[in-house]
Amino acid sequence: MSEGDIARRQFLQESASAITAVWLTAALGGAATLSTLSCAPADHKSKWQTFTDAEGEDVAAIASLIIPSDVTPGAREAGVIDFIDRSLSSFAREQRPLFATGLADLERRVAAAHPRAKSFARLDASEQTAILHQLEQSKSEFFTAMLAATAAGMFANPEYGGNRNKIGWKLIGFDDRFYWEEPFGYYDRDEGTRA
Amino acid sequence: MHDPPGGAVYAPADEVDFVVVGAGAAGGVMARELSRAGFRVVVLEQGPYLRAADFHHDELGVTQLAALTNDFRSQPNTFRASESDVAKKKEAVKYGRAVGGGSVHFTGNYWRFHEIDFIERSKKGPVEGADFADWPLKYAELEPYYTKVEWEVGVSGLAGANPFDPPRSRGYPLPPLPIKSSGVLAELAAKKMGWHAYPAPMAIISKPYRGRAACVGCGFCETFGCEINAKSSTLATMIPEAEKTGRCEVRPNSYVRRVETNAAGRATGVTYFDARRREILQRAKAVVVCANGAESPRLLLMSETTRFPNGLANSSGYVGRNLMFNGGAISGGVFEHEINGYKGAVVSRVIQDLFEIDPKVGLAGGGGFDFRHDLTPILFALGGLPTDAPKWGPEYKKMLQEYFTRSVYVFAHATSLPVATNSITLDPTLKDAWGLPAIRVTFTEHPNDVKLNEYMQDRAMELLDAAGARKSWRFSRDPWFPQVHLLGTCRMGNDPKTSVVDRHHRAHDVRNLFVVDGSNFVTSGRGQPTMTIQALAFRAADHAARLAKRGELS
Repeated sequence: MSEGDIARRQFLQESASAITAVWLTAALGGAATLSTLSCAPADHKSKWQTFTDAEGEDVAAIASLIIPSDVTPGAREAGVIDFIDRSLSSFAREQRPLFATGLADLERRVAAAHPRAKSFARLDASEQTAILHQLEQSKSEFFTAMLAATAAGMFANPEYGGNRNKIGWKLIGFDDRFYWEEPFGYYDRDEGTRA
Repeated sequence: MHDPPGGAVYAPADEVDFVVVGAGAAGGVMARELSRAGFRVVVLEQGPYLRAADFHHDELGVTQLAALTNDFRSQPNTFRASESDVAKKKEAVKYGRAVGGGSVHFTGNYWRFHEIDFIERSKKGPVEGADFADWPLKYAELEPYYTKVEWEVGVSGLAGANPFDPPRSRGYPLPPLPIKSSGVLAELAAKKMGWHAYPAPMAIISKPYRGRAACVGCGFCETFGCEINAKSSTLATMIPEAEKTGRCEVRPNSYVRRVETNAAGRATGVTYFDARRREILQRAKAVVVCANGAESPRLLLMSETTRFPNGLANSSGYVGRNLMFNGGAISGGVFEHEINGYKGAVVSRVIQDLFEIDPKVGLAGGGGFDFRHDLTPILFALGGLPTDAPKWGPEYKKMLQEYFTRSVYVFAHATSLPVATNSITLDPTLKDAWGLPAIRVTFTEHPNDVKLNEYMQDRAMELLDAAGARKSWRFSRDPWFPQVHLLGTCRMGNDPKTSVVDRHHRAHDVRNLFVVDGSNFVTSGRGQPTMTIQALAFRAADHAARLAKRGELS
């Protein structure tokens, strides 16, 4: 175990169900070039850099199931989709084939369960939830990548395009300051009086 | 962008007194001590020369850029559980790769080893399946150097607060960092169990010290470089002091591929790739390898010649052998009120009541505990919740909201026994981006370590209960990869048949070659090796300077 527990952080990045192995470290071999992608043709006219409109809506819908909007804002308000879209066109470019395959698989699942449905994003909430449970149980790499990408889009520095207005940080109670002093929390509130 | 590097500038053809491979926790100390003693020193560091201004509160950036550590993409390694397996590509070892090495991104836990760590084999007897041995030096011999580390690099702590602390000749130069809520809970739990929590000794300065500003508690220590140089990395301490002598040159982006030796079997310098991958030979009267427990044995193995066919300084066969990591286990607990572990230096209290476990339990070694919440938001969201928590959905979101500020993780740090078949070797096929053989890790925990980690985790769960956790849980005890405490692979000892370097870190086989880092450890200790690595380095530098002054190295 580590001094800094870099080991633990690495563990979470690399092997905690491989979630971050496919996302945070962008370390998968076989880096795809843009031309090999099936999602996002270079000349597409969507509002996103990587996704077509339909792809973007599906990815946003999944992110919104992972961290829903209820009494507090969720992935949608935090702009997680913008983060994912931007990442896949920059440092996480290697993950694009995974997303392309994952979205195609999602489309098949939607078609099988709801032959008349237009897309995952257009299903109702309970139908979406059922399909996401299916994906989770199938141990799909795309699903684990979505978990990691959503967490990163929710909680990375806002400069990366997500965590809009620090919505993610506010949600969990993290405050990014450069100076803290005691008391740090409830249990050390009386420590200042102690020698 | 950066200040121009200070210090001397040497031509590769200049035969300097010492070339030091690696500018980390040990290399920084060696550079400073040897240059202060009047010697001309070149330090070669494979990573970049970053400054405090290059470090940011940017969790994703640190993860993405691999700016502070070896990058698996260009420096892959392989792993196998046993020698009979074929190793597969897997990120198995991680180390600091920047001027300052691992001390740039470490947490700064500066435990001393105890007396028992050096003599455990003779005190407790052999352990089946372990290549268990005493160190060739005792605690008392290293004590002045532990004190030297505390004063020279700047360590905050409170002498006399830990009843299990070994004897010390002097107190800490700086008072402890402020106690956090996690520390208060550690104290409460320890008291209930009849144990003792004490202020964590940390290589982070609590007051201004030697021209450096005190810690402001921003909390971005673990994995991050310190933006104000309050963390006592060698980047903030030893390296600038070495450069200030005017005799030391730190050369970043210099990846050493070979220690050169002549027909007489003496080291003549090292060959390295510069930033543009040109091969350069730096000549030196003596070579000091401080490249860490994975890269030091790799470098020796890559430096084979007809005279040293099994690798340099490896007549014993001990180069790469007895790889140890430090065992341990992590448990989590959630509390009623806010803890906010993300504020302030990571650890504020430590418990060492199980440093030596009651012999009736029947386990070799022992360990210590600390309480912390060390996960920045993204990693927390991905792995900080109880293992049975949902991974998505409304309940997941609710738990993130509740747990981030209210969770504590109890870290148990423990012994990892030396096992001869656990090793660093050269992968027979895989190469790195420079065409050099990749590191191959062979590792399986000794059965004692498996039981010890379980025992320590059971006690950690009791601590969480005693602290009043509303719910507590266990994280997996399986060894995690990549590992970062890289120990034991160039063992020190008196017998050239069973060790690589002597008790002063001088290679038995090559008299002007030194190896100084975690690879020299004979046993793993109970965790937190950097303090001991630096104490050994101060001691090794003293000795190397003495030898050089007597003309024994040239």
